[in-house]
Amino acid sequence: MAQVLDIITTAAILYAVAAGLLIVFGVMKIINFAHGGFLTVGGYSALLVTRLGWNPWLSLPMAFAIGCVCGMIIERLVVRPLYARPLDAILATWGLGIILGQVITLAFGREVQFVESPMHGAIELMSASYSQYRLVLVLVAVMLASVMGAVLNGTRLGLQTRAVIMNENLARGLGINSGLVRFVTFSLGSGLAALAGALITPLSSVDPNMGVPWLVNAFMLVLVSGMSLVSLAVACAVLGGAQVLVSTYGNPILGGLTIVVLAALILRFRPQGFARE
Amino acid sequence: MFGAAALVLVVLGPYVLPDFMVNNLIRAFLYAAVALTVDILWGYTGILTFGQSAFFGIGAYSAGLIFTHMGFTPEHAALAFAAGIAVSVVVAMLVGWLAFYHGASPLYASVVTLVLPIIVAQILYSGGTFTGSSSGLSGFDSFSIEINTWFWIAGAFLIMVTAGAWLFVRSDAGRILVAIRENESRCEYLGINVSRVKILLLMVSAVIAAIAGYAFAGVQMVVAPEYAGFVFGTELVIWVALGGRGTLIGPVIGTLLIDVSTAYLSGNLPFIWKLIIGLAFVVVIVALPQGIAPLIKRVLSGGRDAREQAEIPILRPAIEAPLAGLAAAGQHAVALQGVRKHFGSLQVLDGIDFNTRRGELLSLVGPNGAGKTTLMRCISDGGERSSGSVLINDHDIERKPPYECVAFGVGRKFQNATTFDALTVAESLRIARTRLERPSLWTRAAELDLPGAALQVLQATGLDQKLGIHVRHLSHGEKQALELAMVLALEPSVLLLDEPTAGLTKPERTLIGRILMQLTGTHGLCIVLVEHDLDFVREISSRVIVLHQGRLVLDGSVAEVVESELVRTIYAGGGTMTGGHA
Repeated sequence: MAQVLDIITTAAILYAVAAGLLIVFGVMKIINFAHGGFLTVGGYSALLVTRLGWNPWLSLPMAFAIGCVCGMIIERLVVRPLYARPLDAILATWGLGIILGQVITLAFGREVQFVESPMHGAIELMSASYSQYRLVLVLVAVMLASVMGAVLNGTRLGLQTRAVIMNENLARGLGINSGLVRFVTFSLGSGLAALAGALITPLSSVDPNMGVPWLVNAFMLVLVSGMSLVSLAVACAVLGGAQVLVSTYGNPILGGLTIVVLAALILRFRPQGFARE
Repeated sequence: MFGAAALVLVVLGPYVLPDFMVNNLIRAFLYAAVALTVDILWGYTGILTFGQSAFFGIGAYSAGLIFTHMGFTPEHAALAFAAGIAVSVVVAMLVGWLAFYHGASPLYASVVTLVLPIIVAQILYSGGTFTGSSSGLSGFDSFSIEINTWFWIAGAFLIMVTAGAWLFVRSDAGRILVAIRENESRCEYLGINVSRVKILLLMVSAVIAAIAGYAFAGVQMVVAPEYAGFVFGTELVIWVALGGRGTLIGPVIGTLLIDVSTAYLSGNLPFIWKLIIGLAFVVVIVALPQGIAPLIKRVLSGGRDAREQAEIPILRPAIEAPLAGLAAAGQHAVALQGVRKHFGSLQVLDGIDFNTRRGELLSLVGPNGAGKTTLMRCISDGGERSSGSVLINDHDIERKPPYECVAFGVGRKFQNATTFDALTVAESLRIARTRLERPSLWTRAAELDLPGAALQVLQATGLDQKLGIHVRHLSHGEKQALELAMVLALEPSVLLLDEPTAGLTKPERTLIGRILMQLTGTHGLCIVLVEHDLDFVREISSRVIVLHQGRLVLDGSVAEVVESELVRTIYAGGGTMTGGHA
C-alpha cells in the first residue's frame, strides 16, 4: 500500500516539477535549462517566508510571483534573441541557472537550510500511515493540471497558445501576437517552476544547487512526453513508478538513474515517446 | 606564430613561472585538450556535447583504481593507460550507436551526451570503498616525476593535440565535419555515412579526453566523481563558447585563462567569480555566438579581414567509373512496383508502378499535392515508402538509408538548393567526391578531379571561376547549379531533380535544359524530373508521367500527354479521376 502511495505521490511531484518546462518547450520549442534555477528560486522563496515568520502556505503564491517576475525579465533580455538557435538557448539558459544559483548563494549562503513545512504528521490510510504533506501534493498536482487544462482549452489566451504550438507561422499570419504568447508562456513556466520548488522543499531542504537533479529528470520527462499535458502525466506515472520500484528493490542510486536511462532508451526506439504520434 | 609562442611558454614555463602557476597550468593544459575535443564535436561538427567529462573521468579513474588497488608499477601504469583507452572507446561506441542513428535529432544526441556523465558519476558514487564514493580516491602512489617534467609532458600533449586537430580540420577530410554541421541531410545524399563519421569522431575524442584524465590522475594523485560529472561537462562547453567555438585556438586560450584565473580568484571571491563567468557566458551566447577569439583576431589584424585566401585547387577531369562497385548496369535504371506511402490515414502514394531505361528523361508532372516529391524521396531513401519495392539498376534498395542508395547510382537534387554555406565552391565539390575518392586526413589535395558532366555545368555557369568563393556569397541560380554539379560529381546513373529551374531566369533555365538533354543523350543517364513548368517539360522530356492524388494516371510521350483531355482536366482543377464526371 505504501508503495502504491509512493508511486502516486512521486508521479505527482514529478508532474508539478516538469509542467512548467513542458509548456515552455511546447510553445517555444526551446529547452529551458534555467528551470533548475527557477526551482531553486522557489525553494528560497519558501525559505524567505519561513524567515519572515509568515504562514508556510504563503510560500506558494510568493514563489509563483517571484518566479513569474524573474521569467519576464529573462525572456526579454536573454531568451528572445535565441528563438532561432535552440541549442544555443539550452546553453544560455544553463548559464542563467548558474547566475541564479550564484546570486542565491551570495544572498543566502551556500549551506543547506530547512523551511517550515505547512503540514506535519502522518495520516492513517487503510491501516498504513503516510505523510500528509505528500498526499496533499497529489491534490496540488491534480489542481495544477486542471487549471492548466482549463486555461489552454477554455480561454482566448489558451486558444492562441494552442495555435502557436501547432503552427506558429500560420498563427502569426492570422494576427496572433506570438511574441506575446511566448512572453506569457515563459513567465508562467518560470512561475510554475518556482511554485514546484516551493512545493518540494518541505520534503527535503534547500541549497543553491537543489534544482539541478530535478532539472535533468524534468527535462527527460518532457522529451518523452512530446507537447501534451496528458502524456506528461502518463510519463510521470510510468517512469516515476519505475523509479520507486528500482529504488525499493534495487538500490537508491540506480533508482536515481531510472528516469534518465529509461527515457533515453524510449526515445531511441520510439522518438515520439509517450505522445500518440 | 601561435605554435612558436606555445613552444616557448611550455619550454621556459617551469623556470620563470611561480610554482603555484606551474601546478595550475598543468591541470589547465589537460583541461584544454579536452576542451579541444568539445570544439571539434560542437564547434566544427555541430554536436553539442556535455559528455566529454565522462571520458576524462574514465581515464582518471582507470589510473586511480588500478594504482589504489593494485599498487603502482610501470606495468600497472601501462595497464591503466590501456584500460582507460579501451573503456572509453567502448563507451564512445555505445553512446555513438545510441545518439547518432540515421534520422536522430541533434537535440537527442545532446540528451544522450548529457545522460552519459550522469550515469558515470552515479556509478562512481555507488562504488563504495572500491571507487571511494563521493570523496573519490587519493593518496595512491603514482609516477615519480618532477613537477617541471609534468609541465612539459602536459604542455607537449596539448600542443600535439592542438596541432593534430588543426591539421585535421583544415584537411580535405576535416571539411566533412563542417559540411555535416551545415547540412547533414545533404551529406547523406552525397553518399556519406554521417552516423559513422560522428561515431568515429566521438571515439577519437573519447581517447584524447581519457588520456588527459589519466595524466590528471597521475599528476594530482586524486580522482573524484565531479571530474566525470555533468557539471564539468557543461564547464567545458562554457570555456569553448567563451574562447570561440570552431576556432581551436579560442577554446585552448579560453580554458587556460579561465581555469588559471579561477585558481587565483576563487579563493578571494569564490561566488562572485563564478557569477562573472555565468554572466560572461550568457552574454557571449546571446550577443557573440562566435566567442572572443574572432574579436581578438580582428583587433590584432587592425580591422582588416584576416581570413586567409582560400586555396583554389586545379580542376581535372576524373577517370569516370559510374556504377563503380556495382554489377553491370541492370535492365532498368529505376523500377518501382506497388510503391505506397501513407501518413496515418492519408494516402499520399497509392500503388505506383513504372520502369525507366538509361538515356530516358522522364518528367513527373501533376498538381500540388499529387505526391511527386514524396515519390522522389521514396526512390532515394529506402526508409520512406510504406510498402512496395524500388529497384535502382536492378538492386533492391530495401530499407537502406540515402547514403547506401547513392552507392546504387542515385543522385538527388533537392527542390530548394541544399548547399554548405560555410564552405567554398571547391570544398563543396570535394565533399561530393568523398564517396569515390577517400580524402586525406591531414592534407589538402592540389587537384580536384570531377567527371565531365560536372565540369560542364561548372563551365557553363561560370562557377569554375568562383572555386574559392564561399557558397553563402553565391546567387540563387549559382547555388542551384552548384548543387547540380555536386550531385553529378557522384557519377550517378539515375539523377533525381526536383524543380531544378524554380526561381531561375529564362537564360539559366534554357542552359539547364540543354545540359540535362546532353546528360541523357551523351552520358546515358536516366533523369527523373519533377517540374511545374510544362513548356520546359515539353522541350526536354522523352517521356512524361502524370500523377494525381497519389496515383499514376498517365504514362506516355510528350505529345500524348500534352494532348490528353485528362491532363487538361486535372490542371483545370477538375474532379477526381475515378468519378468520370470531369
